[in-house]
Amino acid sequence: MISLENVSFAYENGPYLLRHLSMKVEDGEYLSIVGENGSGKSTLVRLMLGLLAPTEGRIVNTFRRAGYVPQRFDTLNRAFPITVNEVLNCQRRVLRIPDKGAVRRVLEQMHVYDLKDRLMGGLSGGQCQKVLIARALLGEPDLLIFDEPSTGIDVKSQLELYPFIKALNEERGVTIITVEHNLRFAVKNSTAMYHVTGGHGHFCSPEEYIREYVSDNMGRNGHV
Amino acid sequence: MFEYAFMQNALAVSVLISLVCPLIGIFLVLRRYSMIGDALSHASLAGVAVGLLLDVNPILSAFALTTLFGVLIEALRRRFRQYGELILVIILALSVGIAITIMSAGLVHANVESFLFGSLLTVSRSDVWAVLALCVVSLLMVVLLYPQLVLLIFDEDGARIAGVPSRLINYAFAVLVAAMISVAIRIVGILVISSLIALPVAAALQCRQGFRRTMALSVLFSFIDLIGGLFLSYWIDAAPGGVTAILSVVVLLAVIWLQDRRGRPAERR
Repeated sequence: MISLENVSFAYENGPYLLRHLSMKVEDGEYLSIVGENGSGKSTLVRLMLGLLAPTEGRIVNTFRRAGYVPQRFDTLNRAFPITVNEVLNCQRRVLRIPDKGAVRRVLEQMHVYDLKDRLMGGLSGGQCQKVLIARALLGEPDLLIFDEPSTGIDVKSQLELYPFIKALNEERGVTIITVEHNLRFAVKNSTAMYHVTGGHGHFCSPEEYIREYVSDNMGRNGHV
Repeated sequence: MFEYAFMQNALAVSVLISLVCPLIGIFLVLRRYSMIGDALSHASLAGVAVGLLLDVNPILSAFALTTLFGVLIEALRRRFRQYGELILVIILALSVGIAITIMSAGLVHANVESFLFGSLLTVSRSDVWAVLALCVVSLLMVVLLYPQLVLLIFDEDGARIAGVPSRLINYAFAVLVAAMISVAIRIVGILVISSLIALPVAAALQCRQGFRRTMALSVLFSFIDLIGGLFLSYWIDAAPGGVTAILSVVVLLAVIWLQDRRGRPAERR
């Protein structure tokens, strides 16, 4: 469970990006965080992951281990000379997983074991996404956080990815939190949606979200 | 030439430097911190001056002061988030200020030039032991912190989520850089240390391999640069620092040329 109690956040000498957020994500949920660009979704996720400390309020996280899948290479250095195997083995050692076979298992699970000796910088968007998910699966996390999982990957990869995430949630009980731009996938998969707008946020059902906030835009782009 | 004790000392120190500098330099280059190495090499000049003033081994005093300045850079980084380069100016001003003040006041009566340009003649047996001790500690730290350092540089957020204590590792890394610079000043000299940190790594990066192989290639190129520089400087009777710096550029250009030749047929296909 992650609970935020009256959380506000601002960078030093900066304006508040989030104000008085209170929310709770229960074990086994699939939560999609939705909202406009710049609304504070990523800041909220960084707070949940412990990468930022709240300026005000309190965050309680009772999950044993969180796995994080960033938006492909957005936070990574593409020119970094490192193979898939090296990334996962470093992660395994940092997580203190003695079983060296764990790396092979997660790569096979994502059907990318044959990429193990490839450089990270040479992977396609879909391949990179799968490797980053494999990395996040090391150590059997009970919470997985995805930052816009459908961004930058082709439709075929998207159609493979979401059933996999859904299966992790339903069959293994892994709690899922996604920052989601693709409303179709958010509505189809999540058990709850959290709408962040102008630094504030509230829960809504997928149906409510569509009715209240995007009904005007239905059909305007392919995402809905 | 190796019948002379000074050449034996110089060779022993060169081999150790060629191993340690690229192993730490690769992290520095990939973090895009090469200029910090340059600023800290100037800090080591202040350390040498203080060591000569207090009559302690200048390599150890350089290590102490460079570590102090390295930790100071890490501490200031939080304060000058937007203007990181200002930190280097502050460190340069303070360290060169200390060094020039001590030297120009006539407080030390030793050959400071040998620390600026590097020297074969002045490497003493106690220098070899000091370099060996720093190398062993540095190598142990790199081996122990390897996955944390790699993850932190590759993906800082991912590393922190996995539980890497980023601030602590950054401070440990500052100590490693200080050790690397301190061991290198005797042979290559303060003025060209940054070339030894960055150029073998730059050459290895051209080969587009994984991390461990890039590390191994950096050591190989560093070994060629340093041992080649040692022999050449002996024969032409010049300071090894300058010769090593020129050789490291030549090796880098040769690797770029070779990689271009290898890459061309693939591009045509």
